[in-house]
Amino acid sequence: MKHTRPTPQSLPVKDAWKPLPLSHWNTETAAHLLRRIGYSATPSKVKQALNGPISKTIEKAFAPDKPLQKNPELSKFENEFFERGTQANRIKDPEERRKAQREIRRESDHLFRQYAIEWYRFARDETNSPQEKFVTFLHDVFVIEQRKIREPFLLFNYEQTLREGIQLNYPDLCKRVSREPSMVRYLDLNQSSARKPNENFARELFELFILGEGNYTEDDIKEASRAFTGYRIKKRTEFAYYDKIHDPSPKTVFGKTGPWTGDDIIDLAFEKPTARTYLIQELLKFYLTDDDLPHPDYIRALGDLWASRDFNLRFLIETVFQSRLFHHPAYRGNLVKSPIQFYLGLCQDLQVDVTPFSGRTLHSMRTMGQNFYNPPNVRGWLYGQNWINSTTISGRRQLVDYLFTPVNEKNLNGNDRRALKAAREKGHANFQVTSDRLGKLMKLEPPALADHLTTYFITALSRETYRPAIIQLVEQNKDGKPYWNLRNTVIGLLQSPAYNLC
Amino acid sequence: MSKKLQAPLTRREFIRQSAGGGLGFLAFSGFAPAFLTQSAYAQNPGPERDRPILVMIQLGGGNDGLNTLIPFTDDNYFRLRPNLSIRDNIHIVDDHLALHPALGQFRNLLDQGNLSIIQNVGYPNPSRSHFRSTEIWETASDSDEYGTTGWLGRYLDNNCSGTPEDADPSAIHIGDIIPQSYLTDQPASIFGMRSSGSFNRRKSSSDMAYETLLNEPHTEGSPSYLQQTMMNTLVTERRVETHLANYKTSVQYPSSNLGQSLKRIAALIHADMETRVYYVSQTGYDTHAGQLTKHAELLGDLANSMAAFQKDLKANKRDDQVLTMTFSEFGRRAAENGSAGTDHGTAAPLFVMGRDVKGGILGQRPNLNLDPKEDLQYTTDFRGIYNTVLDKWLQADAQQILGNKFDPIPFL
Repeated sequence: MKHTRPTPQSLPVKDAWKPLPLSHWNTETAAHLLRRIGYSATPSKVKQALNGPISKTIEKAFAPDKPLQKNPELSKFENEFFERGTQANRIKDPEERRKAQREIRRESDHLFRQYAIEWYRFARDETNSPQEKFVTFLHDVFVIEQRKIREPFLLFNYEQTLREGIQLNYPDLCKRVSREPSMVRYLDLNQSSARKPNENFARELFELFILGEGNYTEDDIKEASRAFTGYRIKKRTEFAYYDKIHDPSPKTVFGKTGPWTGDDIIDLAFEKPTARTYLIQELLKFYLTDDDLPHPDYIRALGDLWASRDFNLRFLIETVFQSRLFHHPAYRGNLVKSPIQFYLGLCQDLQVDVTPFSGRTLHSMRTMGQNFYNPPNVRGWLYGQNWINSTTISGRRQLVDYLFTPVNEKNLNGNDRRALKAAREKGHANFQVTSDRLGKLMKLEPPALADHLTTYFITALSRETYRPAIIQLVEQNKDGKPYWNLRNTVIGLLQSPAYNLC
Repeated sequence: MSKKLQAPLTRREFIRQSAGGGLGFLAFSGFAPAFLTQSAYAQNPGPERDRPILVMIQLGGGNDGLNTLIPFTDDNYFRLRPNLSIRDNIHIVDDHLALHPALGQFRNLLDQGNLSIIQNVGYPNPSRSHFRSTEIWETASDSDEYGTTGWLGRYLDNNCSGTPEDADPSAIHIGDIIPQSYLTDQPASIFGMRSSGSFNRRKSSSDMAYETLLNEPHTEGSPSYLQQTMMNTLVTERRVETHLANYKTSVQYPSSNLGQSLKRIAALIHADMETRVYYVSQTGYDTHAGQLTKHAELLGDLANSMAAFQKDLKANKRDDQVLTMTFSEFGRRAAENGSAGTDHGTAAPLFVMGRDVKGGILGQRPNLNLDPKEDLQYTTDFRGIYNTVLDKWLQADAQQILGNKFDPIPFL
């Protein structure tokens, strides 16, 4: 079932980014599209996608105006944050002052965990999955870490900017990100001034956001950092620009001299040739394959096209995801799912809700190596094979076990009990696979069952070999405990290499 | 569970025992020869066995150095700490320094020449954020530089990549999360386990289904890498579990997390695992309030656990092979705060234990002639210590791994 990768001989560069012909739009390619732009390809979604052309599925998936609602508790905290902090700091008695500060910190941590669960829930909704997966991609370009930012509303606002960014031209998104309080804090723009420019932001702007390593000089960074001066955070909550700490004098960046501002520097960077290809490479690494494409001309061709459309992100998304290259059969079952995709894909495949216990859910994500909003460092997560080692594999297997093991409600702690109650009130408490749900599958004969499981849970790459194994597994001890046979087979399949790939 | 799937201890056994006899596996798997040779090799003790091993102990939260190695003749110490200074029951080491009362076992280790203490260790422009300073220690970067790989990860990249797939993990950590020190550029074989109880996932009735599907073929690229890693994980889990179950020792370890973790590490070293680096954390050192009792408990646990570990290694004649080292993200403020605790500070002493250490106290004492608001000024850069560990102990290219030349510290 292994297909060789496309080459300019088998797939000419001029055809690579053309839309997939209608004749190739079928269960196989629809499932591929859904698993790659979202987290899973459930039977109903595949069917729905095939009701129209591929362009329609993509257009709908990335349509604007699907914001995550800010929890009113978080808004209240945001509105009162500066005032409360100021008051706490004014308390004379050191013991009392510390207590007040601790209280704010405790509430902030609670709201962060609540936001995390709300995000997982939002992204789990199949209507939002492609948009949120793309937000995760942007998170991995514009990396920030909760550990350094801390305030959950700043993180929330930052993410909303990335979400809105999907509809923008990429240079404009870069400019908006440079004004986000979270980024201003994360890369030390708030420490930078005409007198003492800080190079942290300028370096990452070139290296991680626009051009890639090696496509600028140290002098470019030094000069550019003088342009990114005057950026501050007002009242610890909002962006502010102060002209008097900005350096208005001429700077020479990429050989061009002028009194550049930060925005000018971003525009100058987009004139460089690697600005056309850098983000596309990152995008393909995230969505398609760990390996470089077999020929650099593929990316150059797309880069030129993208530049001619003013680096519009929607154009890039729509071009890539319906292209012949993206749907080439070599790219099936070749990419390791990220922990987010593994978890939310499981929820969608098994039709269960996100586990409302923030401790357990967040810990699972951490063990699998994708701690919410906390990548290991400024480089972000590395994706692909880098997700895999024995620690993270144990985490993935454990997570599957959890989803099939009933929770003893008597053993829950206070927080979890409250979370469960709240989830029930909102109708989000169906977070485990129960015997009556799985029981429905038992009506299928083993071959039909194996077909069903291998069609919707894994890709064609492993289907032929897994199918007989699954039949054998469900048929053994058939007279003993048929339900347990089925349950264990499904668990084994969800833990298997094939399910960890897409 | 079918009988033929019980506890194979190498991947070869795993494949041989599984349904189909494993021949099908060989037919399609391009990597089979490498690990078959390796597992044949793994049954006989080879040169891999005697290589040096490093055990890192993280003291999470920022250990208070001044109450660990106490400058008991320095009036400034008592001036800065009217309520927190310790004078009674200390273990005097030399004319100026004494160990905390709970560190009696460290005193014995010093007497045996098995402990080196390096004073006042830190780095330039220190950060007082837990996470940032931990990151600096674990990546061994400058404080204005954001490293993306761990110092031990770079060691693994340089020295352990290309290890045959069926080998034991290159690095093991206790706990669910991979420490930053282990972050590598290349995928590496890293294994995590718990400090006590069932060492990993519980056995489940679904294991056989998993193992059956795991044996199904996957071709080259990510799928086969994933399959190999999953098989290795399974085999390693079983191997580790067997080593732990078979391990008998007469040494009494503390029942704490740290004690039990070190006991497990001793078991794996005794069983000749090829693993070169172990990592374990002890947490709770962030003593902003009510420090005296809490800190005494932590240090007592640290000294007793480390001493038990060293005794065990010696009884097993492995003490020539193992070096154990502590680190903490920072020390604490020289002056006490208003809550009978101390706030985040800078430099602190660090302990290195092993048969081959030179023993005794190295480095300069911190200058305590400070204003209550001031911090200690470090005198030994921690990367000099890493340099010595990499160069003298792990026999690696320290300068390449650290990216710079740092003065080695002569404790080995």
